[in-house]
Amino acid sequence: MREEHAFVPKIVYFMCSWCGSGGAETAAAHHLRYPENVIPSRVNCTGALPAVHILRPLIEGADGVVISGCHPGDCHYDDGNFRARRRVALVKSLLDTLGLEPERVWFRYVAHGEGRRFVDTATEFNDHITRLGPNPLKTRSDT
Amino acid sequence: MSGNGAMLAAEDGVEAALIGWLKETLNKDIFDALLMPVRTPAGDSFAYLLLQDPAILDGASPLPPVMPVQGGKAIGRLTMHGDGSKRIAAVVRPCEARAAIELAKLEQAHLDNVYLITLDCSGVLPLADYLEDPVAGADRFREASSAWDRSPMRPTCQICDRFSIRQAPGSDLHVGTLGCADGTAVLVAGSPKGERILEQMGMRAEDETKRTDALDAALAAWGTRVDEVGDAQTERRREVQRELQETIAGAEKLLDVFRSCINCHNCQRACPVCYCRQCYFESGALKLPPENYLARAERKGALRFPPDTLLFHIGRASHMAISCVSCGACEDACPTAIPVGQVFSLLGERAQEALGYVAGVSLEDPLPLVSYEMDELHDVEQPYVETYRNQEVQDA
Repeated sequence: MREEHAFVPKIVYFMCSWCGSGGAETAAAHHLRYPENVIPSRVNCTGALPAVHILRPLIEGADGVVISGCHPGDCHYDDGNFRARRRVALVKSLLDTLGLEPERVWFRYVAHGEGRRFVDTATEFNDHITRLGPNPLKTRSDT
Repeated sequence: MSGNGAMLAAEDGVEAALIGWLKETLNKDIFDALLMPVRTPAGDSFAYLLLQDPAILDGASPLPPVMPVQGGKAIGRLTMHGDGSKRIAAVVRPCEARAAIELAKLEQAHLDNVYLITLDCSGVLPLADYLEDPVAGADRFREASSAWDRSPMRPTCQICDRFSIRQAPGSDLHVGTLGCADGTAVLVAGSPKGERILEQMGMRAEDETKRTDALDAALAAWGTRVDEVGDAQTERRREVQRELQETIAGAEKLLDVFRSCINCHNCQRACPVCYCRQCYFESGALKLPPENYLARAERKGALRFPPDTLLFHIGRASHMAISCVSCGACEDACPTAIPVGQVFSLLGERAQEALGYVAGVSLEDPLPLVSYEMDELHDVEQPYVETYRNQEVQDA
């Protein structure tokens, strides 16, 4: 039984429409469960995910953002995941320099068949963010 | 950088010597036009002029005390649609040349027919300080820059460590003054294009053996001094940036920094490398129905209007940090004196370090966000521990 006021983080899970979402599909086929407070959001390719769309939830109310695309070499657009890796590195660098907890952003490859890995990532990230506590920006009215 | 150079006699000061030299290039038909800062008719401001008449050069000022427009932006506007058929020499400061190079890589400027001419730079005064009293400002600038005292300059100029071609390679010709004897300067070619100019002006020794000892000594003295000052500046830069980071890090302090932002977006407009035709932060993407704002206000307790101020600043950094040349034009443009130049310059430096890039020092290095290596940045890949909880949820 959960405590009444226990912290339940709000998590945005960006996944590409090929491997990331495929992982979610496989998980569904196997009736695997992931926490309900993880909000899945499909993007065409992680390489097409702008940095601003990682920053915006972090400022406006999410406690963490996790991004999953295809494994290296598996990208349906050849190199989208390599580009995403650079962009995530950029976002993490900005957050780190500004003292805004870069560990609230995770980047992990999930393949189409890896339903277990998808569910584990959602669960593990949820636990990680729960331990980290609420994102201080989400309750600031002066952003 | 090529070791090719020439002496430039500068009895009446470097600015006058360079203006004389530029007049000669126009008369000898080496350049068709110049783009450089010229004193405005009222006498207290400076503007980039595209000029072909040597007579107008009399009012030129290669190193004006302020930077009302970043030269990279001027070059970008001039050559955005292509190279053109004329040879144009652009006399700019090193950070302006770096911005032009970034713009060229972003395909927002074309430099094939542009000859970038830079000078050893000791910084510029903050625009607001100068405009309070332009006469006193000009005196203060002259005094400080001749002594290489950066204390009255822009905060980003005070910690600049790429003020000469040795730390900011990329310009075609560079006028070196640091460490040179009074009344002399060195003209250094930074590219084959620059070497060709020296050759056409009859200033290039045909081979190494014909180089004079005086030139060698002058080049060596200049190089040594530039490196010394550069190293000291790098150290100072690190120290100041460390202090700055302590004052801005964390949600509390960061929101404090931007508390007086009036959402004018001047920093974005003044930025030489912020080139988008439609800025995302001014687009319809951030203009939402009232329900959205009400929901956010409910979540946050209240919502500042106009919203998305912090998103604008960090998001803008995500767009331009990789190409930031630390010029400080944004800070000059800020009407509420937010240290945006210092913050963006710090973000830019760290982001460029993270991706192994330095903005504006080479036309060849690929832009980090449109290129990749397969084997890199593994520290951002979250390692997976097989079967995190090892439990099947048995509720189906």
